[in-house]
Amino acid sequence: MKRTVDVSIPVGPVHPCWKEPTRVKCETRGEFVLSAEVELGYMKKGIERIMQGRPWQEVMFLAERVCGICSVIHNMVFIEALEKMSSIEVPERAALLRVIVNELDRMQSHILANFSYCYTIEHETLGMYLLDSREKVLDELERITGARITCAYMVPGGVRFDLRSEDALHLRASMDMLEKEITRYTGMFEHGPLIALRSRGIGILTRDAAREACAVGPTARASGLPESDRRLHHPTYRKLGFTPISREEGDNFARIMMRFQEMLQSISLIRKCLDILPVGPIRGGGIPGAGEIAYSGEAPRGELSYFIRTDAAGRVIDIAIQTPSIMNIEACCHYMLTGVASMADVPSTFVSSDPCIACTER
Amino acid sequence: MKEPLYEKDLTTMKYDILVSQRHDRMVREIAADLGVPQLKVRRYIMDHFDMILMENLPARYEQGKRVQEEAPEPERYLGAYLYTHAVPLIGEDCMDEIISGVKEMIRGGTSMDQAVLSGKSRLREAIAP
Repeated sequence: MKRTVDVSIPVGPVHPCWKEPTRVKCETRGEFVLSAEVELGYMKKGIERIMQGRPWQEVMFLAERVCGICSVIHNMVFIEALEKMSSIEVPERAALLRVIVNELDRMQSHILANFSYCYTIEHETLGMYLLDSREKVLDELERITGARITCAYMVPGGVRFDLRSEDALHLRASMDMLEKEITRYTGMFEHGPLIALRSRGIGILTRDAAREACAVGPTARASGLPESDRRLHHPTYRKLGFTPISREEGDNFARIMMRFQEMLQSISLIRKCLDILPVGPIRGGGIPGAGEIAYSGEAPRGELSYFIRTDAAGRVIDIAIQTPSIMNIEACCHYMLTGVASMADVPSTFVSSDPCIACTER
Repeated sequence: MKEPLYEKDLTTMKYDILVSQRHDRMVREIAADLGVPQLKVRRYIMDHFDMILMENLPARYEQGKRVQEEAPEPERYLGAYLYTHAVPLIGEDCMDEIISGVKEMIRGGTSMDQAVLSGKSRLREAIAP
């Protein structure tokens, strides 16, 4: 006679589908997942502690190193927090260049997240296509900022390098090519019957649960919470007429589709920036001084918040970073994974929330 | 028998999370609101919450306080949503029992403040017996 027993199944810390080490302990009854809990601590950096007492000129480089995937937004939020604290103005050209670089960063992060999901559900062909597109985005980032990942592009009062006219032309051509590719891959994902089997109706995060767990970013927007997008509050994005996208399903499929849709949105935002990019300075000057601020920006994974206190010399006295992955991993493990019908769906559901352990263990 | 490879005692790491700037502020506020020693609040959180929930507590606490402000009386004063959903220190059944006890006292003529104080003492007993 067949027996069903209650067991605790650990997934990780080292797992072929995890990009970084973490341990998810699933309590199961047969194949049915009853609950899950997370153990962290395999790659704690203590970066907030390292930042304390250092001048902002050093901390801006450290901030980028919190995450190796979405480093641009850490740089942007830290610098914009300092600017807001010390009332430093940014020239319009620089503000638009920041949006271009930030959206390129969002695209490469979303592509990597969707690659990881495709890889996890064994659709490696689409995964590899996506990685090929990511290289094009990283090439554009390198062309504008001089680096692929840790760009340190934003400085108080502006940006480091201007966009040359030939680079702008190249960027437009790349956006045209990427739009075609992403549209094609979105179609592949949307209409793939095997993808649907592994993704639709699995790992559901309801709107109420998303709100309760403070889920953010594409994870929240795939559960019908468009107002969670911090870009709605950013002056440059508002000038560009930004409106967030959202979906209602709240399952793995919705989260991946959400990222595909946001990539196309990023392309359109970059084009808008290029269309209205004025001629002018890229640095307005200004030195950060003493103050205290809580400032948030929209990272590829959701709301990223910095709580900073500086002294008159611009040294960071206190700093706390709240990364979006903290909220999204919590939402994933305590809401999405609870009730998953098969252990086989645990890795894919976990990856669909785009967990960044480096951010979580900052 | 060999030692487990990954089953470690997480107490130190959990404590490190709880003494960070924003967590510490949250623990102090909860302890002051409930009249429980900070040490007991920390102990309870470390015993009952996993690491990712602990990391997410300040965000949940802030959001819980916002939701709490719109709740009716006496739920608002007792932190019904805050302590069952946002920072789940107490089960929903137990909180419902406390709320109905408080409402019963108010119906019986006890002032709102007195009834809430009595409810809070029952909350204290549940969290830190």
